[in-house]
Amino acid sequence: MINAIELDNVTFSYGHDQPYVLKNAGMTVCYGEIALLSGTSGEGKSTVISLVTGIAPNIVPGVFSGLVAVDGQNVSGKRVSEICRNVGVVLQNAEEQIIHRTVEEEIAFGCENMAYPVWEIEKRIDYACKLMSLSPSALASKLSGGQKQRLMTACALGTGQRILVLDEPLANLDRQGALLLMRTLKELAGEGYAVLIAEHRLDVIMPYVDSVWSIKDGRIIKARDKDSYLRENSLEIPDGLGLPKKRDMAIRANDVTYCAGNRAIIDGLNLELFRGERLLMLGENGSGKTTLMRLLAGLNKPQPGNIEQFIIPSKRAYIPADRRWFKEVGVVYQNPSYQLFMPTVEEEVIYGAKSRAYAEEILKRFDIIHLRSRHPHSLSQGQKRRVSIAAVAASQPQILFLDEPTVGQDYAGLKSLTETLNQLHAETGGAVVTITHDIRCAAALCDRSVILKSGKIHESGGKELARRYLSGEV
Amino acid sequence: MSSHTYAKKPVYPLLGVAASVSVLVLGLLFAKSLAVFYFFGAAWLLFFCMGYRRACIAVLTAALLLGAVFAAATYLISRNVPAALAAVARITAVCLAVTPGLGMPPSYLVRSLSALKLPRVLVLGMLITFSFVPLLRKEAAQVREAMKTRGAGSIFNPSIFYRALLIPLIVRIASISDTLALSVETRGFTLDNTPYTVYKPVSPGAKDIIFTAGFAVCIVLLVLHL
Repeated sequence: MINAIELDNVTFSYGHDQPYVLKNAGMTVCYGEIALLSGTSGEGKSTVISLVTGIAPNIVPGVFSGLVAVDGQNVSGKRVSEICRNVGVVLQNAEEQIIHRTVEEEIAFGCENMAYPVWEIEKRIDYACKLMSLSPSALASKLSGGQKQRLMTACALGTGQRILVLDEPLANLDRQGALLLMRTLKELAGEGYAVLIAEHRLDVIMPYVDSVWSIKDGRIIKARDKDSYLRENSLEIPDGLGLPKKRDMAIRANDVTYCAGNRAIIDGLNLELFRGERLLMLGENGSGKTTLMRLLAGLNKPQPGNIEQFIIPSKRAYIPADRRWFKEVGVVYQNPSYQLFMPTVEEEVIYGAKSRAYAEEILKRFDIIHLRSRHPHSLSQGQKRRVSIAAVAASQPQILFLDEPTVGQDYAGLKSLTETLNQLHAETGGAVVTITHDIRCAAALCDRSVILKSGKIHESGGKELARRYLSGEV
Repeated sequence: MSSHTYAKKPVYPLLGVAASVSVLVLGLLFAKSLAVFYFFGAAWLLFFCMGYRRACIAVLTAALLLGAVFAAATYLISRNVPAALAAVARITAVCLAVTPGLGMPPSYLVRSLSALKLPRVLVLGMLITFSFVPLLRKEAAQVREAMKTRGAGSIFNPSIFYRALLIPLIVRIASISDTLALSVETRGFTLDNTPYTVYKPVSPGAKDIIFTAGFAVCIVLLVLHL
């Protein structure tokens, strides 16, 4: 029987003087199965996907030897567009891939390239939108990060290839969206599709995966007991901290509303944030979490309503959003690329740090000391995110806002990142506000959690609420 | 270009381009005649009735503002009322010529060009170019904001200011174009003669005949009046 994807004795590096990413590696994915490609951040998962789709070495150059076959055919010498007529691909960074104005046009693009007749394109758009819970007429620019991710997956599902390759498709997806995708993939696998998925959120995909491959030191190894492998890598991370002691007010949002066009993203919301507490914001994609975080951080102004701050002395209590404010308030964006600008990781951390010695300590604590001389933009997504968090945390802010800090982190990395953030929190006594969909670290990153729904606080509670919400009980 | 000025059903894109060129050329040629203002009025009304309401309002506001500025400047320099009116006519011609562009979603233009079997690389390039300006604006704003959050927004520290502005911006633009190119190719786009379909091709309809007739009448009346 023909394998859907086959790598045999593959060796690859990004240049003659570069270290090997893969060395004599091999793996197979059969039709009718979902295969998980796992491994630590920067170990080579995206490289495997690039090799399968022909992106490497055709577009991204490198030194390659071995065999990569898709649907039984050697892909060597074939163009990406030719290979991808057999392989539906979902790449990382969904928002960078959108060309068209509406969801419908974006999904139609791939179908047009496949020369499907118009009636079939219409059918496929309906099918993909239904699967991914999208409205065909929705404007692509108005979609949230998670919805954009769903759109790019819908594009791949719409073109209908029987082999699907997905690179971190659950990044930025809420639990419901992630389960929706995994159920769809499982159904497709049941119909004979082959699915290769590179992902860190093992807790979500655990019940759906048929085989697990992990990359380590250039080798791709099949896990013998996939259930124990998945369990080991999806355990809830314990919280080493007790309940917060200080209860001084840091920020208070009074009847805050924020609209985009005619739509209220935040709708008459009241919220108090105290010094020394860790607040977790939960909610579906598009529920207003990032907007609320931006309002609390002073990056957006409420319209109407007001947000009082008790962090820096000011004539008015409202957030000044100036240099003094951002000295005390750290914001880590969903996309780390915006905040990294120094020539090396070390200088990036030193830039915000109160002293060189403290920067050194931060580099060690965030486990990025081995990357100190690398350019921040040359790192993998997961590593970049760690560096951006470290760089902001180095300035010892009184309030730290973290928007999806765990995306792209492998389990070991996630565990150490969570522990480091909690240690720093205990030392500084500041407030930490986190947005995450990751059940493995959510409870460890909060004392209090709030669920947002349609721009309002739907429910608030503690760790238990976070656990219940992220396991789908709420 | 902003999506809120798009018409729901714009006229056939090539007709829109032709109307745009006609308004500009005739407006500049007949700028010294008062009749040109009737022509502008009629053309504006025609665009308005054809569904370009938001674009028409935006253009009218711009034309009034710029017209006033140019009229005042010209009058102050020349002390000549006809010269000031001619200046108003010229700036109005430019503003009015923009209307079809403001009201037409780029995808609509691209689809009509695809239906005419123009090379796909040209058509896709055009689509990406159209979306690039708003994207660049959005990215620049995001980088400026990120600079503020990292305390790198002060122009009194120019080396950091430029690093924090340029490096993320360049990296983002390079990353977007790389990812976009990969995404387009992995979705089966090729430059060779592989067959493809045009989803919802745009071709002229009854509305376009009415628009052409109306516009032709405006031009004839302008020329006859002279």
